[in-house]
Amino acid sequence: MNKAEYKDMWVYIEHDGTEIRKVSLELLCEARKLCDAAGEKLAAVLVGELPESEVQKILECGAEKLIRVSGAGLERFSVDAYTELFTQLCRKYKPSAVLVGGTIDGRDFAPRFACRLPTGCTSDATQLVYDPKTGDIEFIEPAVGGKMMAVITVPFVRPQVGTIRPGTFKYVPGGARGCETIEERFDFPIEKIRTRALSFRADEYDESLNIADAEVIVCVGNGLKGADALPRYRELAVLLGGKLGCTRPVFDRGVLPYKLVIGQSGVVVKPKLYLAFGVSGAVNHVTGITDSDTIVAVNRDPEAAIFGYCTYGIVGDMDEVCDAMIAQLKARA
Amino acid sequence: MAHYKKLTPALAEELRAIVGEGRFQLGEAVREEYSHDEMPIYGRRLPEAVCLVESTEEVSAILKRCYEADVPVTVRGAGTGLVGGCVPIAGGVVVSTMRMNRILSYDMKNLVVHTQPGVRLCDLAADALAHGLMYPPDPGEKTATVGGNVSTNAGGMRAVKYGVTRDYVLAMTVVLPDGTVMKLGKTVCKTSSGYSLLHLMIGSEGTLGVITELTLKLVPKPRMDVSLILPFRDIATAIASVPAIKLANLDPQSIEFMERDIVDSSAAFTGNAVFPTVVDGKEAGAYILVTLVGDSESELEGKMDRLGEVAEQTGAYDTLVVWTDGLKKDVWSARSAFLTVIEAETKLLDEMDVVVPVDRIAEFLVYTHDEAVEQGVYVRSFGHAGDGNLHIYCCSNDLEEDEFKRRVKKLMDACYAKCTEFEGQVSGEHSIGHAKKEYLRESVGDTAYGLMGAIKKVFDPKGLLNPGKVCHDAEGGAADA
Amino acid sequence: MLNILVCVKQVPDVNLVKIDPVTGSLIRKGVPAILNPLDANALEAAVRVKERVGGTVTVITMGPDQAEEALRECLAAGADRAVLLSDRAFANADTLATSYVIVTAARLLGEFDLIFCGKESLDGATGQMASQLAERFDASQLSSVLSLPEIDEEDKTVTAERELAGGVETAQALMPCLMTVEKANYRPRIPNLKSWKASRRAEILRYNSATIPGLDPAQIGDPGSPTKVPRTYPPEKGAGGEMIRTGSAAKDVEALLGRIADKL
Repeated sequence: MNKAEYKDMWVYIEHDGTEIRKVSLELLCEARKLCDAAGEKLAAVLVGELPESEVQKILECGAEKLIRVSGAGLERFSVDAYTELFTQLCRKYKPSAVLVGGTIDGRDFAPRFACRLPTGCTSDATQLVYDPKTGDIEFIEPAVGGKMMAVITVPFVRPQVGTIRPGTFKYVPGGARGCETIEERFDFPIEKIRTRALSFRADEYDESLNIADAEVIVCVGNGLKGADALPRYRELAVLLGGKLGCTRPVFDRGVLPYKLVIGQSGVVVKPKLYLAFGVSGAVNHVTGITDSDTIVAVNRDPEAAIFGYCTYGIVGDMDEVCDAMIAQLKARA
Repeated sequence: MAHYKKLTPALAEELRAIVGEGRFQLGEAVREEYSHDEMPIYGRRLPEAVCLVESTEEVSAILKRCYEADVPVTVRGAGTGLVGGCVPIAGGVVVSTMRMNRILSYDMKNLVVHTQPGVRLCDLAADALAHGLMYPPDPGEKTATVGGNVSTNAGGMRAVKYGVTRDYVLAMTVVLPDGTVMKLGKTVCKTSSGYSLLHLMIGSEGTLGVITELTLKLVPKPRMDVSLILPFRDIATAIASVPAIKLANLDPQSIEFMERDIVDSSAAFTGNAVFPTVVDGKEAGAYILVTLVGDSESELEGKMDRLGEVAEQTGAYDTLVVWTDGLKKDVWSARSAFLTVIEAETKLLDEMDVVVPVDRIAEFLVYTHDEAVEQGVYVRSFGHAGDGNLHIYCCSNDLEEDEFKRRVKKLMDACYAKCTEFEGQVSGEHSIGHAKKEYLRESVGDTAYGLMGAIKKVFDPKGLLNPGKVCHDAEGGAADA
Repeated sequence: MLNILVCVKQVPDVNLVKIDPVTGSLIRKGVPAILNPLDANALEAAVRVKERVGGTVTVITMGPDQAEEALRECLAAGADRAVLLSDRAFANADTLATSYVIVTAARLLGEFDLIFCGKESLDGATGQMASQLAERFDASQLSSVLSLPEIDEEDKTVTAERELAGGVETAQALMPCLMTVEKANYRPRIPNLKSWKASRRAEILRYNSATIPGLDPAQIGDPGSPTKVPRTYPPEKGAGGEMIRTGSAAKDVEALLGRIADKL
């Protein structure tokens, strides 16, 4: 395979017909930097209808090509149709990379079309670096439960496919650059779609479970003694006008729901104030909090890695410090 | 409390100089955790100062100065006790051994380890395993210190095969109340050489001296082990299987029992329902958990077959095999979490750690449950079926504290009397502290209790070391023999 | 009678894995190898489906000889037969090469109606295997299945609940269908003595690169893996912030609240 034949980096635009998923915009902004480093063009792949105001957002991120796909069988997402669509598009246009949001749908179809092409696929990178010597993208990610960082490349084939978790990169549009629109017609026979949704039962909306945009977060880690110790952290979160979150092991212990897990395998947060109680600071958690303005860490162990990332650190019993904080905040009010 | 003196500013400065600024807490700076252990129902008291010691020399210097000044000293490890043993009920100074947390050396020829007392049990156990050895005592509370384990003669799950902490202490360095440093015991496994001061020190709950170094016996780690879960209809049938299991010549490492209530609570709390509740279409009411060890899979399989036969004969619903590392971890961490679970779901809590003859376990539990119903509290129980050591927790979430204490006292008075009637012991491994003194006295009788008090006086004539514990009365009353 | 396949992996217990501070490489010595926990959930789902509607459960893995233990664990927990694909030539495979070997070998055993996988492995955690296995089996795909699926053998359909971002979807797929299982509302069973003993004696079907007919050497192991890991390194330690040490919790908190006053 001649890698030089493969040009342009693609971002799959995931949307619900009215709004683009933020992860797709985040990927456009990050891919824009890669394209600048590589001297390649940034292309967005949009399937189906979307209001013009939303399309404008794609352009504002600096996309230079917009591949608009329409056709039968694409009205709803299906792994069968989208796998075939991306296989055909990649064969026709030969992009050097395809980035897909690490959503449930994205994680279902991206590895599958990579397999059909075939090419290499990576998931959950937390950094993307263009290497000018090789012309490859380095997908860098925490591995083995965050104990080490692995650099993954796809050195011999193209495109380089990657799924990336929402919130990993920042959505900071750098401005439109002039964009060429390419209309693409693709029909997928409906009878070849092998899955269908029969019904959907929405979870009862619980605002406390929506922590991605919270301005203050009180996070409890594996130092948590048990479920009985939780009320004080909830109380502290309320006093600070914030929300409660946790690390992966706390979820694994069954103490808090998955939606409150912060980190690589959970939610990425960017609060103004982040208070970590009994959090050890494994890198797969830390990757989810690095954009916090101020990080306060409380841990019994003075050697805990979290103190390496914090703005302020207190060595001590998490419950005791939390109680003192509650008492003093109440005294101020 | 006639002769106890307050800490003077001058003495405080001396103590500060001994350990250094960062390891000394005085007055308001004393952290709240030093006022209690894990059973705060027996009362809290903050010490006047805390010294985080790092060496025998520091302990000696502190004890000497406090002895001269008539200031009480209470030594403390991780504070995971359940009888108020490390609570400084007469005030004074707390000496924490938590920073004496180094494992000093292994003697691989004599199979011993030299360690400081503040090493956590889980750390010692893991480190020994990394050396291919096993430290057999295995109390449920893995974050306790080995110093604390020795002070309480802790037992644990493997006692049925290996014995208790006492059986693994070969030697120690101890500081007497006046600051004298003494070495007790030798790195040999036999002695017939006078009164054993070493064994007097073991289980003395910090009332006779402060342990600052330990030499502990290790054993080669068993090549293979397997745990088996035997679900039964109820606790009586479960316990009834224990003598048969012991007679089957399996040399089990542990035989634990647990009632369904605590298993359900644990599943709800940890989200990890590892023990099956419905077996073969039948609801399990109690479980026996057995661990077998062996040199080879075929040896183990032979033992498992025999256990399977016993299980069938004694009415177990099935014999479930916990073979993989992952499952062992799940099962045993669920077992080890029982106390945490009870603490988490209970507002008011008290406990008994009695030992009764194995054939009376079920009878004792039934009696306790009936008495608890009478008193309007509920109980959770689990423990070591193989040696008759029961952990019975009295709980309430709706009584006022005073009312709870009044009712639990009635319950315990009855239960400890029953225990004495059954020729049992007040405590198997949690000790006496200040919580169980009266029950100890009733159980052993005035003569034995008086002898204990006399021994205390020989070591600690001023009664300064961990006052008011085991057989000592900090108020100087009649019990101060 | 359904023909059910469960794809499993033996993994190091990553919670116990340490990193050599000098070389940055994994220290696997002494770390127990376990059946990937989510794969155990997948197996339990498969066995429960079998118990309800009838069929056989085959469990397959690619790995070193020791992976036999993980397969025996599956046999004890209800699988009917186990297949081990082991060969030095399979080493260093990424998901593309691994899925190729597994599916090529599985085709020797017949056509499968249902394929179950754990959502991701504890160690690699790419979560890509299932999609690529589905692709190579030419199967439909239902990810994040929460409940035990309902099977309609006449219509050749599978109906199951899937956990999506904002709720639970009930979805139907045509067989053959590959399902991934994450958190399940059931727990893998603990085998009893009888099934454990049978699992210790059971014969494991073994294949290597020479005994899988038609296996393309260019598609296996390192040569067949388009993704490479040119280097690994220990995560950077942060530079660290200001440590507040006054000696008491109350004063520590007082000092802290003063410093973060503008955020409150």
